[in-house]
Order: sequence, then C-alpha cells, then structure tokens
Amino acid sequence: MDHSFYLAMSYAATAVAIAAELVGLRLRRAKALRGIDEERDLEAQD
Amino acid sequence: MNLFYFSSPATFYRLAGWMAPWFFVLAAILTVAGLYMGFIVAPTDAQQGEVYRVIFIHVPAAWMSMFLYFVMACYGGVSLTFNTRLAAMMARAIAPTGAMFTFVALWTGAFWGRPTWGTYWVWDARITSELVLLFLYFGFIALANAFEDPRRGDRAASLLAIIGLVNLPIIYFSVQWWNTLHQGSSVSFKGTSMHVAMLWGMLLMTFGFWMYGIGAALTRVRAIILERERRTQWVRELKFT
Repeated sequence: MDHSFYLAMSYAATAVAIAAELVGLRLRRAKALRGIDEERDLEAQD
Repeated sequence: MNLFYFSSPATFYRLAGWMAPWFFVLAAILTVAGLYMGFIVAPTDAQQGEVYRVIFIHVPAAWMSMFLYFVMACYGGVSLTFNTRLAAMMARAIAPTGAMFTFVALWTGAFWGRPTWGTYWVWDARITSELVLLFLYFGFIALANAFEDPRRGDRAASLLAIIGLVNLPIIYFSVQWWNTLHQGSSVSFKGTSMHVAMLWGMLLMTFGFWMYGIGAALTRVRAIILERERRTQWVRELKFT
C-alpha cells in the first residue's frame, strides 16, 4: 500500500512548523530592535 | 569562574549570541545524518511498510515536547526561588519551541495513526495527555503575557509550569497505566526491540531536535532581553548590524 501521502504530510508539516518558528524569531528580534530605536529617538529628543 | 556572572542578562545576551549559531549548525548536521539513516540505511518495516518512517520525527518531537517542558518548569522554579530575571526569560524563551514540538508530535501521530489504526484521532490516554501538554504550553504563554508588569507574568506562568509538571509522568506512563491504542515504549533504559539503523536514525534526529531547541531558545531569549532591558544603558550602547 502507498503511504507516501502520510509521510509527506508529516515531514512537510514539521518543515513548515520549524520554518515558521525561525521566521517568528527574526520578526521578534526586528521588533525588539525597533523598540530600542524608538527609545534612542526619545532620548535624543529629551 | 563565577557562574552567577552569566546570570546577568547583559552577559548572557552576548554569550547566547555566540552560542546560538553553533547549535543551529549542529542541529542541521545531526538532522541530515538522522534523515540519511532513517530514509537510506534503515530497512522497511515488515508490518507497517514505509509509513513507519514517521517515527524519525514523531518520537523525537514527542520526547522534546516533554523534555523542554521539564526544563521550562525548572527555569520557572529557579525564577520563583531566587527571583532571577534571566531564568524567567529562559522559561519564556523555551515555551514556543516546546509548543511547536508538541504540535509536531500530535500532527505526525495523527498522520501515522490514519494508515495504521484507521483513524487520525482517538481519545486515548497517551494522545489526550499530550494534547493537555500543548494546552499547558499555550496557558503558560498566555499567562506570561497577560500582565502589564512582566515580573508578575513571570511568577504566574512559572507557577503554572510547575503545577503542569504532574502531566509529564501521566504522558510517559499512560501506556502502562491504561489500556491504550497507542503502543508502549520501543526504547527504554533496559534496551530496545528496534533495528539498530532505525534506533540510530531516531537518536540522531532526537539530538538534532535538541540542538535546534537550544538554538531557538537562545535566539528568542536574546530578543526577550532586548525587549525587557531596552531602557538600560548597556542596551542603548549596543551596536546592531
């Protein structure tokens, strides 16, 4: 019996989950850096 | 060397930045080796055919889901006991990766269950307790972010993580305590009934996922440190490339 669909769905979903987490990590760092830039701008205005 | 030196967010930020890429490199090497063992070297299963190869992600993901929860709860305990900021940040950093591995374990289990059991889902003790673990991760993340004061969120979420520890032995022993559709452990400290190539494929993937988990947690904790410490002098003086 061909079970390639079940294998493909398992491995593909894992790859997507890991890729999504890595993208999420980059976005979170970018957001944190924007927050620091805003703090620096506020400080410069003061 | 004083280990408390690394409990300072400023020091750990740099250390984590140095270590994280190496853990990702190790994860990639181990995962490629594990997939090679799993798909090229390991033989076809006599009963299940090729579909058993889901085991090379299902079991490592399930192990990591429980292991990361344990580590997260330990950091929560350290945070509550010693009131250390970094331990709470580490607990927060581990939670999403643990939730991801729990989701992967449930998802791959469903796609393994359909061709072997005839169903994607059954309210079996092992599967249900693993689902509870996913809800515990979601609860931890939601609770940690539910307070305006992050330190209050740290304390509440740490307490939840410690209470949730009770679910880990339930997951592990569920196949012994109850009559479940899910099979018993194929690997234990006493030995294994698996083919050696299957076992090595699974172990290599487990170590690969483990290294990935550390790399992801270290990368996330750096972002959390920046978020929390953005008003401090050392963060303002940082140069980002």
